[in-house]
Amino acid sequence: MITQYHRPLTLDEAIALTARPDAVIIAGGTSVNADPGRTPITAVDLQALDLAGIDTDGESIRIGATTRLQDLVDSTLVPATLRDLARREAPNTIRNAATIGGAIGIVDPESELLAGLLAFEATVTLARAGSTTEHAVDEILDDPALLNGAIMTSVSIPSNGVAAADRTGRTPMDRPIVMAVAHRDHDGTVRMAMTGVSTRPVIVERDQIATLDPPSDFRGSSGYRKSLALVLANRVLATVTGGEPT
Amino acid sequence: MTITLTINGTRRSLTCEPFDSLRTVLRRAGLHSVRFGSETGETGAAAVLLDGRLISADVMLAAQADGHDVETIEGLSVPGRLHPIQQAFIETGAIQSGYSTPAMILSAKALIDRNPNPSEDDVRDALSGILDRETGYLRPVHAVLRAAAVMRGDEPDSIDIAYLDPLVDNGGAPSDRDGLSEIAPRVVPGSDVPETRIVGKPVAKVDAIKLAKGNPAFTDDVDLTGTLIAKVLYSPHAHARIVSIDDSKARALPGVRAVLHHGNVPRVRYASGGQSYPNPLPYDQVSFDDKVRFVGDRVAAVAADTEEIALAAIDLIDVTYEVLPAVFDENEAILDGAPVIHDEPDMEGAVDASHNLVHHLKADTGNVEDGFAVADRVFEQTLRVHQVHATPIETHVAISAWDSDERLVITSSTQVPFHVRRMIAPLLDLPVKRIRIIKPRIGGGFGVKQEMLVEDIVAHLTIATGRPVRLELTREEEFMSSRTRHPQTVTFKTGVDADGKLTAQEMRIVANTGPYGTHGLTVQMVTGLRGLSSYNCPVKKFDCKVAYTNIPVPGAYRGYGAPQALYALEAHMEDIAFALDMDPIEFRRLNWTDVGDPLDIAQQLGEGDQDASVMPLVTSSGLEEAVLQGQRAVDWDRRDDPAWKQPADRPSIRRGLGFAMAMHGTAIPGLDMGGASLKINDDGSFNLLVGATDLGTGSDTVLAQIAAEVVGVATDDIIVYASDTDMTPFDTGAYASSTTYISGMAAKRAAEQVREQIIERAAEMLEADAASIDLYEGQAWTPDGRSVSLETIALSTLHQAGQHQIMATASYVSPESPPPYAAQFAEVEVDVETGQVTVNQLVMAVDCGVPINPVTASGQVEGGMVQALGYGHCEEMVYDEDGRMLNPQFGPYKIYRADEMPRLEAILVQTMEASGPFGAKAIAEIPKDGVAPAIRNAIADATGVRIANIPFTPERVWNALQQA
Repeated sequence: MITQYHRPLTLDEAIALTARPDAVIIAGGTSVNADPGRTPITAVDLQALDLAGIDTDGESIRIGATTRLQDLVDSTLVPATLRDLARREAPNTIRNAATIGGAIGIVDPESELLAGLLAFEATVTLARAGSTTEHAVDEILDDPALLNGAIMTSVSIPSNGVAAADRTGRTPMDRPIVMAVAHRDHDGTVRMAMTGVSTRPVIVERDQIATLDPPSDFRGSSGYRKSLALVLANRVLATVTGGEPT
Repeated sequence: MTITLTINGTRRSLTCEPFDSLRTVLRRAGLHSVRFGSETGETGAAAVLLDGRLISADVMLAAQADGHDVETIEGLSVPGRLHPIQQAFIETGAIQSGYSTPAMILSAKALIDRNPNPSEDDVRDALSGILDRETGYLRPVHAVLRAAAVMRGDEPDSIDIAYLDPLVDNGGAPSDRDGLSEIAPRVVPGSDVPETRIVGKPVAKVDAIKLAKGNPAFTDDVDLTGTLIAKVLYSPHAHARIVSIDDSKARALPGVRAVLHHGNVPRVRYASGGQSYPNPLPYDQVSFDDKVRFVGDRVAAVAADTEEIALAAIDLIDVTYEVLPAVFDENEAILDGAPVIHDEPDMEGAVDASHNLVHHLKADTGNVEDGFAVADRVFEQTLRVHQVHATPIETHVAISAWDSDERLVITSSTQVPFHVRRMIAPLLDLPVKRIRIIKPRIGGGFGVKQEMLVEDIVAHLTIATGRPVRLELTREEEFMSSRTRHPQTVTFKTGVDADGKLTAQEMRIVANTGPYGTHGLTVQMVTGLRGLSSYNCPVKKFDCKVAYTNIPVPGAYRGYGAPQALYALEAHMEDIAFALDMDPIEFRRLNWTDVGDPLDIAQQLGEGDQDASVMPLVTSSGLEEAVLQGQRAVDWDRRDDPAWKQPADRPSIRRGLGFAMAMHGTAIPGLDMGGASLKINDDGSFNLLVGATDLGTGSDTVLAQIAAEVVGVATDDIIVYASDTDMTPFDTGAYASSTTYISGMAAKRAAEQVREQIIERAAEMLEADAASIDLYEGQAWTPDGRSVSLETIALSTLHQAGQHQIMATASYVSPESPPPYAAQFAEVEVDVETGQVTVNQLVMAVDCGVPINPVTASGQVEGGMVQALGYGHCEEMVYDEDGRMLNPQFGPYKIYRADEMPRLEAILVQTMEASGPFGAKAIAEIPKDGVAPAIRNAIADATGVRIANIPFTPERVWNALQQA
C-alpha cells in the first residue's frame, strides 16, 4: 500500500529518495498501482524530472527513460519493429502512462518489448549519486539489483539494421506463449531474443534452442514452447537474413 | 494530502490519501462516469483524459494527476445538447449497457482531436484499452468513424436498414451486397409481415442519451450518507471445515461496525438461483456456513467505515480450517470414495449427496435401442466443454439501507429483482412487504446476475449496523466467487439410415455444478432440450448426471446449457456427415426441424406448467433462408478453392470455413411471466412501468416501441421505468430469452387496453364510430381525415369530462416457446506449424421472427457471437491442483479486444411468428450457440483435424495436428 508520495524536482533529490528502504519508483505507475501489495511503500514519482523524449545522432537513438510507450509507437525515429512491440506491450490506456524505463524496471517475463530491446542490444543509462553508468539491458535483467539506488535516465538503441518478430498466442493481441525477435545490425551480426522460453525475456542462439527448458503454464507446456521456439526462430532469422536461417 | 486538478476546465483542490487511485478520487468528487471495471486497469471503464491522453484511472494515483488537466464525459455533456461523438454512438447503436460508453467516447475524442481522419485500425487501436463484453466492438468502432466524418463535414456510412432480397424461392438469385455499409442492419423481409410504423424500425435506445452523457444511472452511483463498505473473507481452501473463527481482533479495530459469519447469522437453507417459486432443489446453501466448498466460498463479511479498514479487518479474522480432500472433475466426483461435499444433515434435495450426485435426469421418446438396431451406421463421440465466466464489466454490486418506513431497500445490479425480494425474505426473517429491490441500469449481466449473490450480505450487514452498506466485488472476486458456465462431459450416439436420416439419438452427460446446485437442474435440462431438438429423429434419449465438485460455482450464463449442447451436437453432426461423405449442410438439411415438426423432447424437459396432451410444434422457421444468406455472405464456395485454402505465399497457413446450425427457445413456456402498466399523461405521453430488467440489451426500448406502435405515438413519448418491486408490475426477470416475447406481449396487451380507452373518448369527441378510429402520429384519426390529439384526449379525460385515468395493466405467460433458428458461419486460418488459430470472420444469419428493433437485434447478435468466440477460442478458467484459479484477471483470462477482432456480420431473416408480439421471437441467447462448433468445423475444413474439446488454444490444436 502506498503510504507516502514524493515527486522530486531534481535528479539528485530522486536519487536521495531511492535510498529509502521502502522506496518504489513510479513513472507511469500502471504496474505498481495495479498491485501495490499490502506493505507500506513510498512512491517516488519521476514525472517532474523531464526525462522523456526521443532523439538520434544518426547512429543510435536515445529514448528518455520516462518516455511513454505510446510516444515510442508514434515516433518515426524508432524502428518499426520496436514500435510494433511497444504497441503490443499494452492497450492504449496503459501505453499513455506506462514508460520504457518502467517496462525495463518491472521485468515482465512476457514482455515483447523487452525481448526487442535485447535483440537490438539496447543499453541503459543509470544515474547514481555522483556517477552515471551504462549497462546492457541483458545485464539489468540478469541483475535487477543494479537498479537499486539509481534512477534510469535513458535507453539507447542502434538506429540501423533490420529486424523481424513473430509470435504464437491465443488471439492476435494476446501476450504470446512464445515470441521471437531478431535484429541484424549493419555489419551483419544477428541477435535474437525470445519470450516464453525462460523466466524472463532472453537472448537465444538458434543452436541453443534444443537445450532450452521453458517453464510450463496453462497456455503452453515446456515441450510445446520448445517446438514453437524453433519454428519462430527459423522464421524471424530467415526474414532478417533475407534467406536461409543462420 | 491535497491535490489540485483542473477537472473539465475547473480548478479543484481535493483531499486524498497517497494510495487513492484517480478513479476513487474522481468518483468521490461526483464524477460518476468514471466507473469500476477492475482494480488492475485493463477494462478501461475508468478511462479519462489526462492532458488530452486517454489513461486508465484505476492504475493512476490521484497524486500523480496533481497539477494536470483531467477531462471526463461530464465535460462534454452540456445540458440539452449532444457532442457529435455522443450523437454518433446513439445513432449507430453502439451503446448497450452504456457502462463503458463514456470511456469510449473520451477515447474517440482524444483520437479525433489528434487525427480528424482516422482509419478503422486507428479507431480499433484507440479502443483497445476499453474492454466491451456487449457489442463485439463493431458499432462503437463505426460510431467513432461516423463522428469523425460528421465533424469533418464528410458523408458518413449509411446506418439505414439494408433490405436484402430473399434467396429462397428466388432461384437463389444473388441480391446485391456490394457497397453494403458494415453497420447497416441487414434485414431479409418476410412476405407475410404486416406494415408497422414504429416496430421494425431502428429507433434510438430510450436510455441512450443518459448513457452517452455518463449520467449517474448505475447501482454504484447511489450515494447515501454514512454508507459502510463491506468486504468478504473468502475461503483459501477448496474444501474445508471451519473449526473456529475468532473475530475479536477484527471487531476491536476502530471503524469496524460488524463482522458476520456462521456463528452469528441464522442458518437458513436456500438455493441462490434467481428462479420462479418454488425454487428448484437442491437447497444446499446458507448465508454463512461452517464448511467451505471452493476457493472463493464465503467465510465471513465485514462492514466498516472505509474500504481500507474493512480490508484490514478481514486480515484480522482468525479462522482455523480442517482441510478436507477435494474433487474437481465431474466424472471422479460421482465415484465411490470421492470426498463428500455436502455431508450436512440439513441439506435438501440432492439425489445422492453421499456420491455427490445432485440430479439424475432422464428423458426419452421411446426405446432408443430400437432406433440404433435399424440404423445403417451408428456413431458415438465424447466431447468436453469447459468452464468460462460471463465477465460483465460491471461486477456484482449492491447497496442496502433502511428507509424512513423501516423497510429494507436494496439497490442491486440484478436481473431478477422480484425473485431476489422473495428469496431473501426468509434469510433476513423479514416479510416480503418490508423489502424493496430496485434495479437501476446494469453494466452487463449475461445470466451471472440471475442470482441472489451479494444482496443477502449487504442486507445482513445493514440489519446488524442500522447503516447503509455497499458491496462491490473486485474483478478477482467476480471471477472466483460469482457464477460461471457449467462444464460437461457430453457423449452423443446417433443412428443414421442409408439415406442419411437419423434413426435414433442419445445424449449422455456428466455435468459439473460445482459445490452448489444453483441452476444445476435447469441448465442441464436446457442442454438436453437443445441437444435433442434441432433435428427430427424417431427416437431420442437423454441421460444426465449432475455432480457436485469443488470448482467455483457454475450457474446461469447466457445460453444456459445450450452452448454446451450445440457445440457437441454440431461437432457430432459435422463428423457424421464427413464419415458418410455427405455435404455437411445437406446432411443437416435432411434432418433439421421445420414448420410443423414436433418438439417432442420438450414435453419431458420443460420446466413450466405444460399441457402434456399437446405436442409442441415448430410454428415458424427461416432456417433455409438463413443458411443461403449466410453462405453467400461468407462466400462458402471458397471451401472448394485450393488456392484460397492453402495460400502459396504463406506456406504454414491453411484456411477453412465452418458451419453450425443453431436452434434455441423463446422463454420458458407455462412459467415465465411479465407484467406491464401503461398510463397517459397530460401531454399525451405515457409512463410504461415494467418489471422486466433491461441488461443493456435494449429491451426497455423494444417494450416502448411495442407500446408506441399500439397507441400511435413516437417511442420518445413512452417513458419507461424499470424495475422496482414497489413501483412496477411483477416480472420473472431477464433470462431465458424472454423479455421481448413475454414482457413484450404484456406491454402490447396493456397498450391495447389503453388504446381502447383512448378510442372511446376520441369517438365521443370526433362523433365517429369507435371501430373506425385509428391512432398514429399522436392523434386519433377518423377515416375521413379528422383527428384529435392524444394530448387533447388526455386533458379531456384527466380534467374536463367523465374524468378518469386512462391506464391499464396486463401480464402474459406463454404456452409456447417458438424456436428462433440460426445459421452460423466461421472463417479461420490455422498455422499448422504452431497450432495458432486466427478467426477472420463470423457471419450469423438468424430468424428471430420480426425484429422489433433491427439495430439492437443486430447488436445482440454481434456481441453474442464475440462472447461465443471467446468460449470456443480463448477463454478458460484454469486452476492449480488445490483448486485455486490461476487466471482471475483479464489478460490471463483472455477476452477479445477491439484491435484483434474478426469481421462480424449479422443478418436478420424475418419470419412472422404468430404467437409473438408483432411476430417476434427471441434473439438474446442464440448467438451463443453456433460459434464454437462453426470454428471447430472450420478448423477441420482447413486441416482435416477434428478436435473434441474446446477452447481451440494453440497447444490443443498443435497436439491434434501432431497426432493427425
